Amino acid sequence: MNVSKKIVLLGHFGVGKSSLLRRFVENTFSENYTVTIGVHIMKKEVAFDNGRISLIIWDVEGTDDFTKYRSSYFIGSECFVYIFDATRAITFSDLKYNLSHLNERFPNTPVHVVGNKVDLVDEKELLKNLEAQEIKHNYLSSAKTGKNVELLFQDIAAQLLANEQ
Amino acid sequence: MNSEDKLKVLKEILLTEEREFDKNLLLKIDELTKEHDQLNKSISPLMEERLQAFIEEIPKTLGPTIIKTLKNEIIKSQDAVAEALYPVMGKMIKKYIQVEIKKLNDNINSKLKSSFSLSSIFKNSKTQPTGASILKEEYKGSVEHVMVIEKGSGLLKANFAKTQNIDQDMMAGMITAIKSFAEDAFAKQKVELERIDYELYTIHLQNFSKYYIAVVVSGIYDDEFKDKLEDVLLDFAQFVLNQDDLENKENFKRKLKAYFTDERI
Repeated sequence: MNVSKKIVLLGHFGVGKSSLLRRFVENTFSENYTVTIGVHIMKKEVAFDNGRISLIIWDVEGTDDFTKYRSSYFIGSECFVYIFDATRAITFSDLKYNLSHLNERFPNTPVHVVGNKVDLVDEKELLKNLEAQEIKHNYLSSAKTGKNVELLFQDIAAQLLANEQ
Repeated sequence: MNSEDKLKVLKEILLTEEREFDKNLLLKIDELTKEHDQLNKSISPLMEERLQAFIEEIPKTLGPTIIKTLKNEIIKSQDAVAEALYPVMGKMIKKYIQVEIKKLNDNINSKLKSSFSLSSIFKNSKTQPTGASILKEEYKGSVEHVMVIEKGSGLLKANFAKTQNIDQDMMAGMITAIKSFAEDAFAKQKVELERIDYELYTIHLQNFSKYYIAVVVSGIYDDEFKDKLEDVLLDFAQFVLNQDDLENKENFKRKLKAYFTDERI
């Protein structure tokens, strides 16, 4: 089995969406920040014993106001990856509101919540902070060190392939 | 009295009763025929009246049921209906535009005809190749790449390329993103992006219900070429493409390759 699936990365400005993607697809990282304008699309094929899956990943430009996201970019996505910056509380303080907004528009599309840049924070402190705000996350990652990046996309790919079978 | 006369007399004596019976039978038949005609005369108008009433009643009695059934069937199979109608509607619209353009062309020609002298017309009608026609032949449009892309998701369903340069899946995604952006920007006009020009290439976009076809063209992409390409794509969607193709990538690829030959366009 060889299938293609669309995934969309979203979140505030500068949370590391493009860096996570580059780490996963090209296994590279740069300290230089480049703004994504519109959308950037990358592809990576993930192989499993029971088949292959091509992840077509749409890295959409960040926004501080989720209601202004161009929803046409989200159509046909099998999964959303919501990324926040572990060093900036402002990027996860409105997470619940943004997720409910997303869920209203795309109720059947699963969302994976990822806290990025964990190499720059005390992980215990971060977890306490997230717990205090009742923020549920799926992964804590670092595009810089590569922590959990491969795992995140591998899990998504495995889930999508399982859904297909 | 000879033997024949004798036989005749004998027949008359012996068959008197039968003749009487025949006569009565004929009278009865005649009576019945008359009765039938009379009955026919009185029943026919009545039947005609009832039949006419029945015909007039059909829209009232069966009409709502038929409309309801049709509506339900259309709602149930909206996608299939849209899929089937897209190429047909496309052709109808195209035909209408062609007729209108032909009218305009004829109008211009007739005005030109009346404006110029016979000698100048004769001069122009010489079939010498012009610089423009030579250039047109040299740089005529050529299909480089055909991609069938799912609307919205931008996932590539199948493609056929003369040369492979960049990743086709990413290209399909990016074209879809550009298309979505442009269409969002003009959302109020409900228009669909139909063409992207990129230096020496033109990306022709033909929209259908669930998917769209992007064709990368090199060379001159003029109205004549566009017209022909549109026809080829509409025919492809109507007569070649089916639902199974959208699921079976490899088979679909083979179909595309076989269909989009240089001779066809």
